[in-house]
Amino acid sequence: MKFHWFAEATYPHLADDFPKQGLSSWVSTPTSLMDPVKVGETYRMFIRLMQQADRDGFDGLAVNEHHQTPFAMTPSPNLLAASLASTTENAAILIIGDSLALYNPPTRVAEEMAYLDCVSGGRVIAGFVFGTPMDSVFSYGNPPPELRDRFHEARELILRAWEAKEPFAFNGKYTQLRYVNVWPKPIQQRPPIWVPGSGSLETWDLVIDENYCYGHLSFSGLHSAKPMVDAYWDYVASRGGDTNPHRMAFTQLICCAATEAEAEAKYYEAVRYFYRMNTLDPKFTMAPGYTTIRSQQAMAARLRDAPNLRPEDRARAAKGEMSFWEYDEKGYIIAGTPQRVRQRVRELATDLRVGQLIGCLHMGNLPEETAAENTHLFGTQVIPHLRDLWADQPDHWTPPISQQRIAARSQAAPKQAFEAAE
Amino acid sequence: MIQSRMSVAGFDVRVWSGGVGPPLLYLHGFEHHPGAAPYLQRLAADRHVLAPEHPGFGASTGFDRLTDLQDLILYYRALVESWGHGPVDVIGHCLGGMFAAELAVLAPQLVRRLVLVDPYGLWLDAEPLPDPFLLAPAALAAVKWSDPACASRETTAFDAALGDTAAEFRTINLTAASKFMWPIPDRGLARRLPYLTAPTLVIHGEADRLTPPAYEAAWAAALPHARTAVIAGAGHLPMVEAEDAFIAVVGEFLEEARRPPAYEVGARGVRS
Repeated sequence: MKFHWFAEATYPHLADDFPKQGLSSWVSTPTSLMDPVKVGETYRMFIRLMQQADRDGFDGLAVNEHHQTPFAMTPSPNLLAASLASTTENAAILIIGDSLALYNPPTRVAEEMAYLDCVSGGRVIAGFVFGTPMDSVFSYGNPPPELRDRFHEARELILRAWEAKEPFAFNGKYTQLRYVNVWPKPIQQRPPIWVPGSGSLETWDLVIDENYCYGHLSFSGLHSAKPMVDAYWDYVASRGGDTNPHRMAFTQLICCAATEAEAEAKYYEAVRYFYRMNTLDPKFTMAPGYTTIRSQQAMAARLRDAPNLRPEDRARAAKGEMSFWEYDEKGYIIAGTPQRVRQRVRELATDLRVGQLIGCLHMGNLPEETAAENTHLFGTQVIPHLRDLWADQPDHWTPPISQQRIAARSQAAPKQAFEAAE
Repeated sequence: MIQSRMSVAGFDVRVWSGGVGPPLLYLHGFEHHPGAAPYLQRLAADRHVLAPEHPGFGASTGFDRLTDLQDLILYYRALVESWGHGPVDVIGHCLGGMFAAELAVLAPQLVRRLVLVDPYGLWLDAEPLPDPFLLAPAALAAVKWSDPACASRETTAFDAALGDTAAEFRTINLTAASKFMWPIPDRGLARRLPYLTAPTLVIHGEADRLTPPAYEAAWAAALPHARTAVIAGAGHLPMVEAEDAFIAVVGEFLEEARRPPAYEVGARGVRS
């Protein structure tokens, strides 16, 4: 089982009444609400926390791409990844991922990921994403029915650019290049490829056909994800795909503290901020043609089938109307002492058959010192106790060099040493 | 009007047709085909009306064969050619107006007279159009109608027997429309309009706020030889809200004696 450090780079200074103002936190959020100096401080905090996560034993440092939103101020994940590639040693640089349709020409992705792989010594995981409707079709203007086609053409170009030994011509529908010959090439001949999705059958077919790692990057936890993830694994099995759990990534908010009371005191406000300030205007979530009718029908059925999470619960979670422990009970967060957290993560990973947990160790407006404590507790008192999960299955979806270094590191500092500190 | 299917150039689409007389091609707007709408039936009283559903809309196929607008216009050229009447009159409403103008540019030999009704295709930086894909139903009604109560009179080609829900029918249509309208409904028509030589009537609903009044002037400036008619008491669908006035103004324009156009055509066939 692998554990990756992640946080949405959320702007932490929105006014408490932001949700009441009727503004969308995506696409059209007034930029007057943002102080660039504070944005810079926030970025530097995330870099420090991820550098610490590397030291604390995480398997990967996850960076993502979103546009025009205070919820996740990372228009280019490659920039954040560049800050980490040269200042960390062990963890994979998990780019999850570049929105392929938004790079023109897409060889830019091949070049920048290769650069990052070179700088990091072969630690890049190449995430390829379609991008949310807010990102790819509203902020970046792609006609929705072209998005998948553009994604696949770009993917083909990037993979060929990494593999080719000689310059080649690429005559695509959207990109024409006479001389494709990217410098540099990645150290890993072809970095591991992850493709996140939200349940589209077309994406499932892609990851099954290509044996990519699939990611379900929800922030709603086990109960919300259970019907979709179960359906995904059934679909994989029905198509004869590889059911190795290391091919499945899942995001989970984590709130570790010395005691449960301390967890509530330290994290509740930040958890509420994380959900409350994400006031996504529904009109930006539904671009016609972004999701096929076939997938819409399947997704709607799964939503209805979620037995442990009612639509009212989802609405209350988004409004910050749950108690801290109800967020925990409903699966939105996993909170408490390291002992409790490790038990709950074990249940989650087993229940969803997840081999790559992307833990959100910072959320909302959490103070840096709390996120640092969270990172340290999870890295040293949770991760070492969960290494047995799926240990019998090979992991072909994280960089070999990171696997070797982290394994060597944990042998040098065995689990017992951490337990003494508990 | 009779509903049937028509296969041309590998596209298999639904068509509504009827009437006897001079041929008239009707190209519908971005929301949906209107089906056997009352105004189509009145137009068919003394004309042979053919109203195809655009590829990708409703139950019409071929959307995956379209990479860009030119592919679609070449399809419509083939459709008119296969119809076999020679030059035809063309009415294009809304997005269909963009297609009709493009067809008249690409295949002037096939378009006798052109009527554009609240057309898309132009863009003014100073007067940005509302984003039709983003408008909630009430907001859409407010910009689309002079009197939103008229909405109940609008007909569509939705057919529950085909298995889609009404919401799915709308998604299918808007998906196809987005190919030509997302993120901005301008695919370069303005720089091609100087090649448009067919006698043209541009109709605007006075209360249309989907393509607001500033666009009347833009079309008039882009097509100096064209006539403009503004229909009072109508929004984006004057043929629904002011059917009599619409039929009258279209009829008057189409029934004028066939005569050479009153404007000058440059030596290269381009207005200078």
